[in-house]
Amino acid sequence: MDFEPTYTGEQEKFRLEVRAWLAENLPSGIVHPADPIDLTTEQYELRRDLGRRLGEKGWLWPTAPVEYGGGGLSLDYSVIIEEEIDNVGMTLPPYYDSGGKLGGASILVWGSEEQKQFFLKLIFRGEVRTWQLLSEPEAGSDLANVKTTAIRDGDDYVINGQKVFVGSGLGCDYMWTITVTDTEAKRHENLGWFMIKADLPGITIQPMDLLISGGESGAGSGVKNTVFFDNVRVPAFNLIGGENQGWKVATTHLELEHGTGGRISRNWLVDRMFEYCQTTQRRGQPMSKDPEVRDRLVDIYIEAEITRLFNLRNYWMRHSGANITYEGPQASYFRKQSGLRQATAILDILGPAAMTYDPELGAGEGHVEAYMRSALIALHPGGTTDIQKVIMARRIGIGREVKEKAGALA
Amino acid sequence: MDLALTPEQEMLKTAVRRFVQQEYPKDTLLQMAATGQSCPSEPWSKLAATGWLGIAIPQEYGGEGGSLTDAGVLFEELGRGPVPGPLVSSALLGGFTVLAGGTEEQKQEWLPTLAKGERSLVLAVTEADYGWDAMDVGLVGTKDGEGFRLNGAKSYVFDGVSATHFLCAARAENNGPVGLFFVPANAAGVTVRSLAGFAWNLSEVKLDNVAVGKADLLGQSFDAGWEAFQGAVARTIPVLAAYQVGGCQAVYDMSVEYSRTRIQFSMPIGRFQHVQSHVINLVNQLDAARWTAYEALWKLDTERPATDAIHMAKSVGSEAYYEACNHAHEVHAGVGSMTEYGLTLHTTASRTLYHYLGDPRYHRRLLADALGL
Repeated sequence: MDFEPTYTGEQEKFRLEVRAWLAENLPSGIVHPADPIDLTTEQYELRRDLGRRLGEKGWLWPTAPVEYGGGGLSLDYSVIIEEEIDNVGMTLPPYYDSGGKLGGASILVWGSEEQKQFFLKLIFRGEVRTWQLLSEPEAGSDLANVKTTAIRDGDDYVINGQKVFVGSGLGCDYMWTITVTDTEAKRHENLGWFMIKADLPGITIQPMDLLISGGESGAGSGVKNTVFFDNVRVPAFNLIGGENQGWKVATTHLELEHGTGGRISRNWLVDRMFEYCQTTQRRGQPMSKDPEVRDRLVDIYIEAEITRLFNLRNYWMRHSGANITYEGPQASYFRKQSGLRQATAILDILGPAAMTYDPELGAGEGHVEAYMRSALIALHPGGTTDIQKVIMARRIGIGREVKEKAGALA
Repeated sequence: MDLALTPEQEMLKTAVRRFVQQEYPKDTLLQMAATGQSCPSEPWSKLAATGWLGIAIPQEYGGEGGSLTDAGVLFEELGRGPVPGPLVSSALLGGFTVLAGGTEEQKQEWLPTLAKGERSLVLAVTEADYGWDAMDVGLVGTKDGEGFRLNGAKSYVFDGVSATHFLCAARAENNGPVGLFFVPANAAGVTVRSLAGFAWNLSEVKLDNVAVGKADLLGQSFDAGWEAFQGAVARTIPVLAAYQVGGCQAVYDMSVEYSRTRIQFSMPIGRFQHVQSHVINLVNQLDAARWTAYEALWKLDTERPATDAIHMAKSVGSEAYYEACNHAHEVHAGVGSMTEYGLTLHTTASRTLYHYLGDPRYHRRLLADALGL
């Protein structure tokens, strides 16, 4: 067993190359607002600019195939890039790009060659930012119950309907969405996925007023929206996986969204809490010397460590081609529940200082307050914790002889 | 990065699993539990003959010289039984303690016999005022001519009944350092009493004016004992955690199987989401224990700083085994409480291993220290 990549001299040279490149190309003036809702257009453009530059080098999507604009790199090289990006406080991609991540992976499996050439190059080179649009007022946990329709009309499909809890602030270039392509067909045999250009006539984006927009995507999204489609004409070329084949495509999309991708980034919350408690005095000593505070800090640490190990395992399983069954939804379920338990521990430790971003009386420059909100809201995106348990049960085969298989990944 | 076992470790895993199924089937384990014989000569001699007891003892001392991860793979499968006897307590902790603090002569004398399973050497450390720190050792080695006398009792000694010898923690006079004495279990003045109840192979070891010499002191010095013990505990814990992983795996497999075969309301009970939740909580405990244990083993094998990982592995592994058994009982209901079903073998083991070598809260406090809090 080896829990860390063992790097060859060649790879260590590559790490230095990445580090030097980032020193040269990381835009100056990047700041990290505690609540991503405060991300400005200027800050977003700095991140997009970094994304495009990474994309040119094939480092934005390091393991994606070269012929579609990816880096074609092995797992170890990809880890090096992710670690170096993590060290400068950024993520891959450096902005919210749920549709790029999940739509890209789905197109890789289900798209035609022409579609791969067209869409994947845009995504993998960082030329576009894509939102995923799944939920609807009548389709939350029951995704197959979507009502948005895409009806064939000549060379186009005409899309009508409404998506909710989607996207981020500051707009997107493409939308990756699931619709009904046959209103008469049976459930699961009536769906189709589209990559839709975001500036088509008939698309309206309306921000929602939420407690916070939590998300599974590391970069955070800041804002969620309602998106209305009013007779939006989309070329048939943009239908991925074929008419009424959408549920098949959804298995790939959902497999990744349910946590199978894995992740290796560090947990900044633990560092932040440790530092705060070591440097803040209470009753004449650092908070970290209080036995109860210590106990709760260790609780947070262990929760974060188990989450890290589940993510690391999934990352390895995905990239080594190991047989994945229940591990994706397990990591998602654990991360979410664990995040909420950590929030409780933070409340125990900090009390009211955890609940305000007041510059004088709030803890952690607003990051802690934002975490207290997002830990709760993060329970449901990408499938509620109850849905993750339902999927786990099917994959494990609890109460059934035939186990459900995981969705196909490229 | 590669989280897979090596082909050799996979072979070992398969071989041990087959061995445990053949030599320690449920009926044998139940029989051992019922009679209080955790180490009867019949399966033990076969286990000893495999050479596995010496898996982590260096080859120069008659062992296999394997890595701690190799030991983890072996002990995970033993934990599936759960196979009782002086395994973690003697083959690992006893051996590691001698290896860390023994004189060359003591290593030559003890390690080959532990590797072959001919003798067992169980640490007798804790007392009625239970705890795993040096300050918790009150028993004094009183000077008597050239040697010493031991008077007092060691309480809650895990595997005390199956020990042929003890390494008994005793303090030098005048609140001196804690050393470790080799004491034969059949020495004059030694009585071992099994503790009845929900305990798993716990006993009290009474020492009534037991005579020991300086040559019986580990490293022939009081100063050598405690540090050697601490070092040995650090290496034992992640393997013990792997043993607990094996226990979790066994009760998980049992629970999934039962969820498919037990019919109520005309369907398998695993169709009910409340039942599913118990199994899912169980598998989450199992995997948390698995990956914390194996990461700690890997850190030790590769000589990385491992103190934090060791304390985490014991804390997570102990809670996991305990909780896994609780969830399994929820799935099995009445059937799980029947001794003959076999689940209670694990439930009983999980309670004793919860506090053996320090309970989760104790190790969380040590983890806080290790993290510099």
